[in-house]
Amino acid sequence: MSLGIRDISNKPRLLPGTSACPGCPENIALKAISMALGENAVFIVVAGCSSIIQGMGPKSTYNYPVLNIAFAAGPAAAAGMAKAFKLRNKDIKPVVWAGDGGTADIGFASLSGAAERNDNILYICVDNEAYMNTGGHRSGSTPFGAKTASTPGGKKENKKDLPFIMIAHHVPYVATASVGYLHDLMDKIKKARSIEGFSYVQVLTPDPYGWMFDPSKTAELGKLAVQTCYWPLIEYENGKLFISQESMHCLDKRTRKPIKEFLKLQGRYKGVSEEVIRGLEDYIDRMWERIKSIYEGKVIL
Amino acid sequence: MMSKVISGNEAVALGVKLSRVKVIAIYPITPQTYIIEELAAMRDKGELDAEVIRVESEHSAMAAIYGAASTGVRVYTATASQGLLYMHEMVWWVAGSRIPIVMTVGTRAVGAPWNIWNEHTDFMSERDSGWIMTFASTPQEALDLTLQAFRISEDERVFLPMMVGMDGFILSHTKTRVYIPSQEDVDEFLPPRKQPYTLDPEDPVDIGNMFQPIDYMKFRHSIHLAMLHSIDVIKEVGKEYEKKVIPIGSYSTLNDSYKLDDAEYAIVSMGAWSLDVMQVVDELRKEGIKIGLYRIRYVRPWDEEDIKKKLGDKQGILVLDRSVSFGRGGHLYLELKSTLPEANIKGVVTGLGGVSIGKDMILPLTRKFIEGNTNNEWFYPSEVEKVELRNPRYIK
Repeated sequence: MSLGIRDISNKPRLLPGTSACPGCPENIALKAISMALGENAVFIVVAGCSSIIQGMGPKSTYNYPVLNIAFAAGPAAAAGMAKAFKLRNKDIKPVVWAGDGGTADIGFASLSGAAERNDNILYICVDNEAYMNTGGHRSGSTPFGAKTASTPGGKKENKKDLPFIMIAHHVPYVATASVGYLHDLMDKIKKARSIEGFSYVQVLTPDPYGWMFDPSKTAELGKLAVQTCYWPLIEYENGKLFISQESMHCLDKRTRKPIKEFLKLQGRYKGVSEEVIRGLEDYIDRMWERIKSIYEGKVIL
Repeated sequence: MMSKVISGNEAVALGVKLSRVKVIAIYPITPQTYIIEELAAMRDKGELDAEVIRVESEHSAMAAIYGAASTGVRVYTATASQGLLYMHEMVWWVAGSRIPIVMTVGTRAVGAPWNIWNEHTDFMSERDSGWIMTFASTPQEALDLTLQAFRISEDERVFLPMMVGMDGFILSHTKTRVYIPSQEDVDEFLPPRKQPYTLDPEDPVDIGNMFQPIDYMKFRHSIHLAMLHSIDVIKEVGKEYEKKVIPIGSYSTLNDSYKLDDAEYAIVSMGAWSLDVMQVVDELRKEGIKIGLYRIRYVRPWDEEDIKKKLGDKQGILVLDRSVSFGRGGHLYLELKSTLPEANIKGVVTGLGGVSIGKDMILPLTRKFIEGNTNNEWFYPSEVEKVELRNPRYIK
């Protein structure tokens, strides 16, 4: 499904004047996603930066109906909403908007429940790899070696592989995207929107404050994450895994950009040891082995 | 109107069906399980025109019906004990959004240690959450209050969620004769759902976003005022229920009383054992002791005016509590004491974790109270007296 210029000229549903920080990747993602989603959507915003980006009530910068909700409740509330809209014969998609903390940690039971029931909702995880709204504490989605407010010496464990965990739920659609590649992101959201049943899209959203880089470089980091193959752009549909064009080069280790190029711009990896870098390289190698196996049909998740 | 011998759980399930609920979230927890099993069965047989969501936790149960309700449909769920505590966060969230919702709580003790039997602590621990809270004393009342709850919760002077409590096992599993109204009578009594705002892309509104302190405080005050206004609404709805639906109940007041008018002494209680208390009253009246019962049916709103009017002149008031605020006393006792600070009130905590308390135990307890020998205390039936606990101690 490709996105023509006509498709993206929908009026953006994110109004100007949000409370986002300069260089905020979620703001970029919200704007792009709202253009791809179109009119008939309701947002369920799980506690996080996006609870703040919409601004102080009773005003709002989201031109969608929004149900703001506590951390662990998003997918369940969306499930209830989907049932209610179905009863009323309305083609309105409940879209859960949650950070990586709400997704990988506290909200996971409810996410897994909605996926298992194949509730007709779209779940978008904006992955900035820490609890950024609270001050940058590690989450289950923080990568190995990253310094956060609660892991000042660097995180000891690897990032939780949410996209694969979601694929293992046998849901109709799982995709990953990055704010570095907005057309790819919008394509995937359009597809996810059209799916009847549960769909999951995880968007890498490099955060200037938590990752400690210059706010002008958000998109650049989003691109480097993909080019170094740290963040794969993949899609899983009807039991098949597809690799987006931007990530095809990652199948061969020799054509991957060195991870150092991605790390050197980030304060959270400043002065890390070679051991940490090797650990991350290992993580990337193993991830791509897995992607390759599924892609070639040798492993079925 | 027809009548059947059914349990409290069955009565509630019938009430939910008659209320034309559209979305139901179900998660099993003893002792309310039969309600949701019955609703799932009704749905399968095509008797119930509602979507049933089999959620993975009580937290999600409340979230799911909250999400559904926010789009404008009537919803329902039921829970108990640990389940209610697990959904506590969402219980507050719903009230804070002023979204009408009805839930049954089949009351049960809270762990640890594990205990599946009856107690009111789970229910009473939600009294600050902004929900209207009513408590049944018979399966009939559980059905009646469920039907009334939808009307009260969806009244524009209220717009608050409402929970209906009933004693786990004692009411949930005991079968008695219950009068069941016809669908036509319920339809006439319960109009289509009303609510303050709905989520619809045609007119986007935000619910629950960040508010400035000044707006937040004002909003909290609106919940307080709605709770106070609900007193009138509950009386109106109760009277109309007696007229249009079932003429045998007595719902013109929030709380109920028995032989109280000329009484010198009063017992205050809530729930199923109030019927045992009525027998105690009869027994003592035979001996010439002027005593009556004041039965709390509504914990929130708290009908302060009525309590002052009905109990203010009594020589002594004995409050029976099936729940406790540790280090303080029974919840109802504390509420009564703050309403009537000058009165001679004694509070007794008993029957926790399903300890069986009947007429034979309440009678000597009441005699002791009338003799003036009761302080605020825990009352043990004799078999509890015999139990010796090993206290936690420091091991080197």
